[in-house]
Amino acid sequence: MNDSSQLMNAENLLFFGKVNASISHELKNILAIISETSGFLRDLTDLAKQGKELKIDLLESCCESINEDVQRGFSTIKTMNQFAHSVDYPIKEIDLVELLRLIVHLTGFLSYAGKVYIENDDDGNNHDVLTSPFLLQNLIYQSLIFIFNQTGSNNKIKIQMITGEEGTCLIFNSTEKLNTNLFETPEIKKAAQALGIAVTEKVPGQEFKMLIPYASSEIKELADRLQIERSSED
Amino acid sequence: MKIILVDDEQKFITMLAKRLSFRGVEADVVFSGDDAIKKIKENDYDVAVLDIKMPGISGVKLKNELSSLKPDLKFIFVTGHGSLDGLENNGMPKSIYLSKPLDIELLITKLQEITI
Repeated sequence: MNDSSQLMNAENLLFFGKVNASISHELKNILAIISETSGFLRDLTDLAKQGKELKIDLLESCCESINEDVQRGFSTIKTMNQFAHSVDYPIKEIDLVELLRLIVHLTGFLSYAGKVYIENDDDGNNHDVLTSPFLLQNLIYQSLIFIFNQTGSNNKIKIQMITGEEGTCLIFNSTEKLNTNLFETPEIKKAAQALGIAVTEKVPGQEFKMLIPYASSEIKELADRLQIERSSED
Repeated sequence: MKIILVDDEQKFITMLAKRLSFRGVEADVVFSGDDAIKKIKENDYDVAVLDIKMPGISGVKLKNELSSLKPDLKFIFVTGHGSLDGLENNGMPKSIYLSKPLDIELLITKLQEITI
């Protein structure tokens, strides 16, 4: 198996499919609200034709509601578009803050997910890393899903970002305690190793650390191999 | 006919309840499984219309809990899934699932069918 196909293995395709399904579910919900609101306007019109008074404040609130949900729909499509483009380049220098914000939006579409907060994302530091955007998204998304599957939608997760000489450290703090060590699960361990990311437990069952180097040796090696692949195809 | 609507999308079911009231169907709304359980204990309903996916509890698990409280209660499920295929794996017939966006006349027909 060549290295570009490793990026599209079964686990990664599963992640891609799961995210797209959650986005389509969200868009359906938005359209359902708009559909009910427009149905309500039709009902009011029918009643007005029968001589019932048409209340202006009801019309106004329906228009506002439709507008809100159209904006929610646009925001969802923007997120979907960002996610879709994350596979444009197998290896790329990315802004980790932007990637985290995208993941937070994506997990928000899941009914069983709680709230995720990012801390220190506007501290003025450079949080760029050279990585596989898609694989890193997958790792962080799966980590958050793992936590919420264990703890439920009342849980709140705080992700703190600290940039140092070794790279950027993400510290995940969960208000609810986990029974299993997140980073001992095979899928998450495998994904972290592929990216050259070190994961450790800070506070058992509560706080985990993910150290993302600016450019890990695994990523550099993958970039070199992809370059060789592309040259041999030319 | 008196029904209870359960969905975490508050705007959706609040609007649906208003439209059902225009059509002579009395509908109470709740936005979570816990609130549905409280309401069912205190009131009698003919049908519960449940969203399949909600935070905290699935529509199917909620149905099982509500059935144990009120065995005569009938159920309709509403889903935002892409298709209704495979939903019968939850152990219930496809005929009691409706897909969002809802066709209100179809909902009324289903309500009348299951309460005969």
